[in-house]
Amino acid sequence: MLGYTLRRVAGTVPVLFMVSLLIFALVQLAPGDPVDMLVSDEATEEVRLAIRSAWGLDQPIYVQYLTFVKNAVMGDFGQSFRYREPVMDLILERLPASLELAIYSTLVAVAIGLPLGVWAASRPNSLVDTLGSIGGFFGISLPNFWLGILLILLFAGTFNLLPSGGRETWGLNVERVTGFLTIDAIIAGRWDALWDALRHLTLPVIVLGTNMTGIIMQITRASVLENLQEDYVMTARAKGMSGRVVLWRHAFRNALIAVITIIGLEFGTLISGAIIVETVFAWPGIGYLLLQGISFRDFPLITGLVLVYTTLFVLINLAIDMIYTVVDPRIRLG
Amino acid sequence: MFKAIKRILLLSGGAAVMATGMAQQAQAQKQDQITVAITEGITGNNPYADSVVLIGSIWCQVYGCLTTWDFKAGKFVPFLAESLEPEDDLNWILTLRSDWKRHNGDPIVAADVIHSIERSRNDPESMSQASVQYIASAEALDERRLRIKTTQKMATLPNYLATMQITSKKIYDQYGAKAADREHPVGAGPYKLVEVGIGSHIVIERVDGHPMVEPTNPKRIIYRMMVEPEQRVTALANGEVQIAQGIPPQLVSRVQQLPNATAEMVDSAEAMFIAMSPKTAPWDNPKVRQAVCHAINREGIARAILGNQVTLLNGPVGDGQLGFDPDYTSPMNYDPEKAKTLLEEAGAVGAAVDLYTPVGRYTADRQITEAIVPMLEQVGFKATLQTPEWATLWTNVQRGETPFYYMGRGNMLDPSPALAQYFETDASPRLKYSSAEVDALLQAERQEFDPAKRVAMLSKAMAAITEDAPACFLWLHKLAWGVAKGVDYKPSKADRVNGWEIHLR
Repeated sequence: MLGYTLRRVAGTVPVLFMVSLLIFALVQLAPGDPVDMLVSDEATEEVRLAIRSAWGLDQPIYVQYLTFVKNAVMGDFGQSFRYREPVMDLILERLPASLELAIYSTLVAVAIGLPLGVWAASRPNSLVDTLGSIGGFFGISLPNFWLGILLILLFAGTFNLLPSGGRETWGLNVERVTGFLTIDAIIAGRWDALWDALRHLTLPVIVLGTNMTGIIMQITRASVLENLQEDYVMTARAKGMSGRVVLWRHAFRNALIAVITIIGLEFGTLISGAIIVETVFAWPGIGYLLLQGISFRDFPLITGLVLVYTTLFVLINLAIDMIYTVVDPRIRLG
Repeated sequence: MFKAIKRILLLSGGAAVMATGMAQQAQAQKQDQITVAITEGITGNNPYADSVVLIGSIWCQVYGCLTTWDFKAGKFVPFLAESLEPEDDLNWILTLRSDWKRHNGDPIVAADVIHSIERSRNDPESMSQASVQYIASAEALDERRLRIKTTQKMATLPNYLATMQITSKKIYDQYGAKAADREHPVGAGPYKLVEVGIGSHIVIERVDGHPMVEPTNPKRIIYRMMVEPEQRVTALANGEVQIAQGIPPQLVSRVQQLPNATAEMVDSAEAMFIAMSPKTAPWDNPKVRQAVCHAINREGIARAILGNQVTLLNGPVGDGQLGFDPDYTSPMNYDPEKAKTLLEEAGAVGAAVDLYTPVGRYTADRQITEAIVPMLEQVGFKATLQTPEWATLWTNVQRGETPFYYMGRGNMLDPSPALAQYFETDASPRLKYSSAEVDALLQAERQEFDPAKRVAMLSKAMAAITEDAPACFLWLHKLAWGVAKGVDYKPSKADRVNGWEIHLR
């Protein structure tokens, strides 16, 4: 297992290298100039040239790339053009916000989608199955931005129950330990801050979780249904096992491989794909940071963020592989 | 089953009541502070690293800027400066106020101004070089007075000094740039810095005893970035924010119907126009350019798309901006028959033109240009709408690679720099327009210290530009701000929210 893990981690190096090359080429080839985006409207051409030179944009692209790679190896993605801060600092500051959102969304989606999927599969073509399938279909189909704005209007506007956006109410001053506000609030024993963090999390978690719930529900249903038609299930039933045991201990467990794969992939997508939700809810995560980076042609920020996303995806896949061995001991990694 | 549903409903109801109670409690605890929803992000702690007008104005509240626009007088006036007077053609004498102290009690000294000029120009993070580009040198005459020498005769120097924050040389020397900005942001403005959340918020706090502030000004102001207009309006409705910037026309009526807020309208200082580069055919022919201006039914667009939330322009500026001539009426009225005739005279009937527009940058930009395209086709153009992403369009405009585009130019309270930028020969590549008459007028007005004469020259230059039509000047959008009841705030054309202009009842 250790050897496999080390090989997989080592295998990420060429992946990251290729991704860095690709993303560097793409951002350089894209039209638009970061200096034009950031400098004062009235800046002279001399000023613009001086800034380009200071940022190294006057160097040939291969020189810029080699400089980037040399620094990136040391964990230095350079300085953001817009925020004038080290890219790594900006990412580390905002990553917990995105992770916290993704984790809670995944937990909610799993808690709802999984049992619903199993339930629907255990009663195919029943009312429960039909309603579950329709619900799952809606969950998958609803556009995030639309649902987000609708929920803001409803729960922040009409009912005035929840905040319209942001991650916390200013002034609560909870000491940051993990960067996860809910956990930090518990560590500090600040129940007011915990309540505040949960209130801010609710709407974006519902939006992100809705889509994922639909996907998990559908995949679970299909996978469990498929397993319920296998010979070993018939054998288990013939041996006199109860329907519940057959469903949960046999069919569900064997269906889990597909479900875990989807949960892992969806979790990765939630981290990298929450750009719209983070924008709609003014959530200070890395998704919104990437959007800002792209808008301002902040090359170091874009490249650094994409590399972090890639690394996260690789690590999530690795974690999924390891979970496989727990779920199905027949699987051996190596 | 029903019991479970009942339990869930009871729990949800309890949570809702609790949440509402806490929300109301939170509001009650914040009566001395207000939150302002803004559309622009904060880039960091360095006051020179941001070129956005609204963010720059927040830094001016903290550090103090030398001049400011006086809406009553219609000109830039001293602010942190007590006076700013020309000594001769190139030299100005600037005297600093003695009644403004830094938040730690230090006086504002001439060395701070020289230091701030240097930081604007040479700080590696600075995006404010433009504000000092015409300053050749600055020398202290004594503690409170200094001489600023310009690179050329410049009547518009006060304009540039309005966006330069005066930071402390002493603190900079003591701690260095980063620590000075982050840990010791000791300004001289009426508000002091409390916290910067990069890209998300900035918090400032009233400096009691400062000459600019009154007890009714908010004790604390939180500027929160909210990109989505729906979110800004909802936050205004539920009391999360008390002032909301940039309410789009379609949401104004909703704000006006809110029981706890209202919409305040103000003309922007951003001229919206259609630009045509005379270096590119068919725009090299003035008749073709004039045909475009006559083809556009501005009144119709204002009525149908913008809900009449605009002020139509007779040139680059409107009422309240320098050089505005209330007696001047633009000859570029809506007259499609005249447009057809002009196009025929120019031999350009059927000319294929691409109109470029940003999408989502300005109010209803796409819808407006979608309406303009058939108007152009009606008079004989073969027009196509192009909608590149903003970064692409903006770079191409600045490089002079987009000949025909819809655009806005803000920060035009004194339009002199903007007019030079777009309409003076070789001032910038973005329009490539050249007119000896306009050049002479713009150069002369920049060098004219007599305000009345300068305004007359500006008006004349703007009339010449309007009639030669390198651009069709369309309108100033009426900007809508959401303002909570209990908050006295009248937004200004300057697109900034100063704490001393807000009063809590």
